[in-house]
Amino acid sequence: MSLEQFQDRNVAEQNYFHVDIADYPTTNMGKFKRLLSRTFKGELFVGLWVVFREMVKFDIHTVQYPKEKLPVGPRYRAVHKMQRLFESGTERCIGCGLCEKICISNCIRMETKLDENSRKLVTDYTINLGRCIFCGYCAEVCPELAIVHGARYENASDQRAHFTDFNDMLTPIDSAIAGKQKEFDGFGAVTPHEDERVNITPLAY
Amino acid sequence: MDMAFLIETIVKIVVILLVFSALAGFGTYFERKVLAFMQRRLGPMHVGPYGLLQIAADGIKLFTKEDIVPQNVVAPIFKIAPVITAATAFMAAAAIPFMPSFTMFGYEVHPIVADINIGILYILGVMGAGLYGPLLGGLASANKWSLISTARAASIFISYEVITGLALLAPLMMVGSLSLIDFNTYQAGGFGDWIVWSQPVAFVLFVIAGFAETGRTPFHLVANDHEIIDGFGTEYSGMRWGLFFIGEYANMFFISFVIAIIFLGGYGDGSGLGALALLAKVSFIFFFFLWTRAAWPDIRPDQLMWLCWKVLMPIAVINIVITGIVMMF
Amino acid sequence: MFEAVAFYLFAFLTVVMFSITVFTKQALYALTSLAAGMIFISAFYFILGADFLGAVQIIVYTGAVMALYAFAMMFFDTTRDVKEHTRSPQIVFLLGGMVALLIVIIFAVPIVSENITANYPVAEGVGNSQAVGIVLFTKYLVPFEVAAVMLLVAMVAGIVLAGKKMDHSLTLMEDEEIEFAEKSNEKAVS
Repeated sequence: MSLEQFQDRNVAEQNYFHVDIADYPTTNMGKFKRLLSRTFKGELFVGLWVVFREMVKFDIHTVQYPKEKLPVGPRYRAVHKMQRLFESGTERCIGCGLCEKICISNCIRMETKLDENSRKLVTDYTINLGRCIFCGYCAEVCPELAIVHGARYENASDQRAHFTDFNDMLTPIDSAIAGKQKEFDGFGAVTPHEDERVNITPLAY
Repeated sequence: MDMAFLIETIVKIVVILLVFSALAGFGTYFERKVLAFMQRRLGPMHVGPYGLLQIAADGIKLFTKEDIVPQNVVAPIFKIAPVITAATAFMAAAAIPFMPSFTMFGYEVHPIVADINIGILYILGVMGAGLYGPLLGGLASANKWSLISTARAASIFISYEVITGLALLAPLMMVGSLSLIDFNTYQAGGFGDWIVWSQPVAFVLFVIAGFAETGRTPFHLVANDHEIIDGFGTEYSGMRWGLFFIGEYANMFFISFVIAIIFLGGYGDGSGLGALALLAKVSFIFFFFLWTRAAWPDIRPDQLMWLCWKVLMPIAVINIVITGIVMMF
Repeated sequence: MFEAVAFYLFAFLTVVMFSITVFTKQALYALTSLAAGMIFISAFYFILGADFLGAVQIIVYTGAVMALYAFAMMFFDTTRDVKEHTRSPQIVFLLGGMVALLIVIIFAVPIVSENITANYPVAEGVGNSQAVGIVLFTKYLVPFEVAAVMLLVAMVAGIVLAGKKMDHSLTLMEDEEIEFAEKSNEKAVS
């Protein structure tokens, strides 16, 4: 399945159709006719032919998971990531605390202080993933697109703390400076054609 | 009763036991693979190349699992039941000529354990006794799903034994013997002599009854996973359940051999090619068992009884009468 | 030698199995041992060279009759012991013992007077099944046919008794129809 098909949620326009099923016969003659047609029409062999054709075609749809992985949609909400600024590589997080406020399961905790330049500095930032319900509000509320949801869905680990360390979630500084950090286009990000959808604010009232 | 005969028979029995057990194991592998390919899957892939060692893994698992005998079951009967299923499946193989006789080390070997002159009746009898596996297993289990499956097993076995017997009667009348070797020699002339051409109705009836008695998919009601869990096998674990499993697959191979020998010419004239042809026929019938499982839906128990008594049995009787009239004139 | 060993082995097994059937309080043991005993009896036919009868014994008794018993047993809780209510065990013992004695005498008398000869000895060149067929369709033709008619009568009677309400199905009926049918049924009963 390609990414375009994956993103197409418009079910009504996909290749679904209604099967034409006849009513059950009520008279004995009708039942007898149904028996005859079922016996001699060879519908059973159609079924046999279909599965045999699939076997010969050998069109295997299995994804051998640990070796192959399906693409994850951009709006997928897995373990959080902390982004950096593109040019300087400093953290985007300004320590505003909105994510901590909005978190409905109370799993985000941050401590801040003023540094020597009188800027707010995040000294401690943890997300308790045991409580997180991955609702995505933190990513939506973040004014700087600093906390986003990543695509890391393989959450098996022997320590819950392995995912909560701020430095693990933070984009590594070298890849950020090299421009390898991808801009987040998922939950909470600005949608691609947002400009066209902005309407003039009606001032009638 | 000389020593050579005894030794020969024991060797044959051991070989058949080993071959049929191994076949049952490979049968599970083929079933998984064929079903997977028909459903656009891959089947077992991880244990060994193309999942071939899955059989060994399954065997190890079954042997080493804890053997649980639950509370409130009738323990002796509960323990005997799986043995009956496996044993009857192997016992039935005693009357089957697997290959034409061949000479080895200057000694002529007949690859049949007991050439009794009532081979087919013996097979029917052992198949009838095979009912006791599910029957006793389900009755002793103190589980209602098992009881339902037992009731179904009893009704299916009793009903479809009638179909098996009546369907075989018409070819029996033509051949005039109950021995499977006589059946084979009757069809030794080649492709045109196969009984399936002169008795197509009996062939279809026997195949349907064979599906019912082995409990394979269109009639998979005895251990129907999606409504009665595993039927009589619900309370079983480990090797006891494994014996039920081996019995089911050995039964499938055994029915395949019987169909191939009675209706599809057996090993023909007894040459090496004939033996290969027999293997090919058996493999195809076994494949057909798996094929239908991928393609066809299950039917309801009442439909199964309806099919047996209102459709198949009259057809079988009419077939016998017509065969008799044709043979008379 | 071989036959003697087989005979005593199967005689012992048969007696043990049928004893279990009689003495056990557990219905499932009785059923299993009865079925096993039926199979062991067929061993005697095989020892005597009557292969056909042996196989038929297994098919009919083990495959069909015992399975019908098992059907009836599914209505009970087979995992519990059966509680027997016998008012006077002496009378049961006396009657049972006398019947057993009678049967032993009936079967022993001809042996004692050495009157047993095979009416239809196994002929050379004629197979077992053919021999059964010849006897069945010459000397015993009338009893055979009468038995067949009797079974047919029993079958028809059974279907008539069981099949009174076969033509309407509870699954297809509406609730009111079911209630109506039940009420009319009660009227018919009272």
